[in-house]
Amino acid sequence: MRPYQLLPFRFHDFKNENMLLVNEVGEFLFSSKEEFNNMISYKLDPESETFLDLKSKQILTDTEIEPVIKMLATKYRTKKSFLYNFTTLHMVVPTLRCNSKCKYCQVSSKSEEAFKYDMDKSTAKRTVDLIFLSPSPNIKIEFQGGEPLLSFEIVKYIIEYAEQCNLTKKKQLEFVICTNLTLITEEMLKYLQNHKVYISTSLDGTMALHNNNRPFRNGQGSYDIVTKNIKKVREYLGEDSVSALMTATNDSLEYFTEIVDEYLVQGFSAIFMRSLNPYGSAKRDMYSLGYGVEDFIESYKRAFKHIVNINLNGTFFVECYASLLLGKILTPFSAGFVDLQSPSGVAICGVIYNHDGNVYVSDEARMLANDGDTTFSMGNVNENTYQELFHSDKIVSLIKKSCLECLPICSHCVFQSYCGVDPIRNYAEQGEVVGNRMMSTVCKINMAIFQCLFELIKENDKPTMDVLWSWITRKPIVMEKQVSHESN
Amino acid sequence: MGEIFTKLEGGRILIKLDKSIYEKEAIMAAAYKMTDTCFIVVKLQEDNQFEVYFEPKNSQSEEELKAIAKNYCNEVLDQQTRLDVEKRYGNIRDLLVKQAFSPIENIKDKINI
Repeated sequence: MRPYQLLPFRFHDFKNENMLLVNEVGEFLFSSKEEFNNMISYKLDPESETFLDLKSKQILTDTEIEPVIKMLATKYRTKKSFLYNFTTLHMVVPTLRCNSKCKYCQVSSKSEEAFKYDMDKSTAKRTVDLIFLSPSPNIKIEFQGGEPLLSFEIVKYIIEYAEQCNLTKKKQLEFVICTNLTLITEEMLKYLQNHKVYISTSLDGTMALHNNNRPFRNGQGSYDIVTKNIKKVREYLGEDSVSALMTATNDSLEYFTEIVDEYLVQGFSAIFMRSLNPYGSAKRDMYSLGYGVEDFIESYKRAFKHIVNINLNGTFFVECYASLLLGKILTPFSAGFVDLQSPSGVAICGVIYNHDGNVYVSDEARMLANDGDTTFSMGNVNENTYQELFHSDKIVSLIKKSCLECLPICSHCVFQSYCGVDPIRNYAEQGEVVGNRMMSTVCKINMAIFQCLFELIKENDKPTMDVLWSWITRKPIVMEKQVSHESN
Repeated sequence: MGEIFTKLEGGRILIKLDKSIYEKEAIMAAAYKMTDTCFIVVKLQEDNQFEVYFEPKNSQSEEELKAIAKNYCNEVLDQQTRLDVEKRYGNIRDLLVKQAFSPIENIKDKINI
């Protein structure tokens, strides 16, 4: 008879003769190779510290199994809690027109005069009606573009009609507008203030980089007006009302630390170091804009180290992607980020309604459609019912094919509990939704970042861990000096 | 002990693995992990040996292909260990996932380890 029972876990030859062991719900432990081999051959001493550690992490048990299964099941349910509510994020494209001509434009935006790419009122109304059929108690309506401010009347109509619907539906309703901020006026700001609309903008880094990547259609740079308007937004809507995203092109890679510094100068407390996605112009011009995945990883690591040092020197500043991953690694909760979910969050967590009423499973699916590939169309708000849009065989099939637990390599990957699937990216890069993991750029980037984070966790340097925890809790660390000063 | 692989014409390499030691799942999973670097064909011979053929995909040199083939051997061991470990916890993973979404009556009776 075996002296103890092994429970489901995954493992990975980590570094320096260490193994990383992760159980089915993401709880982890490092062990030496010798301890690992002793464990799987039932030679561990039940009195040893290793045995007790493994038992506490529910990687093995020497007690009755039924209660352990029930406890793990509860934790598993928590990890998969994003499945409870169904679609929460509803992206709406009020227009595909845009006054910018970003080098990597992934949505294939249209000129400012191309009014046929505007959403009409009846489509907007039907879109809001469908949004409120979602069973989720939380609804986030996010305006995407084109540049939504070019069609501000439709934005206002959607906000006001959604608020009206919510008088009876009583959901937790949120609005976000993704804008380049170049067209924002005081009148708009007052409106957004009154309706508690959050702003997400784009800032690619220093003046030279931003102007190079994100010029206006006439070729002029947009940096000055964007940074001026970021300040204006804060005056009207509050300090935390605006966040920014950056997209890394080939020109950006060597300036990652400078980009971080620019975000600090502009008063941001977070950055999302984002690689180029292969859609629209970014795909067409990958030769001039793109880079090797290893180059991105190297730049990311350099910026990450720089950001940790900024925090250690007393300024709270978050790298958002690492923060999401750390939340999944170090807490029992899920991330609420579509790209880090299994099954994939396409359609069931986030969905996008295009200007013409066509509905797509994700923003990236809409980007493909704007380029002529409508594989991931769910239907049209003016022609289909909620059931037809969200409960079709197409959606069920897509979700079934996007469970990490069943995908080659992912099924055995030690980082599975923390990772996610993006079937649309697989399709865009490899021509089919499952894809080959060995050729996936997302997999390579995620693996490298996981390794980097686990190395820090293994080192367990207290100041660094305090920084990482402050990102998860979104609370700045209390510096030692401040504590002693206050206690004096 | 000689080389663990045989050099074939056309720059290909052959490795033989004993079916009584390695399972097909381990051989295939390890092969899948090499698909970004080379072309692989797996054959089962009548003498209960798996023959695994490696052919360069990206104009690798002979030495580079040898290194890939050696890594493959370690990867098969790794995959076989994973299969062996999985067998030791039987259907516990399935039960805990089922229990998470729809409580199971009498779990105890359904544990198969």
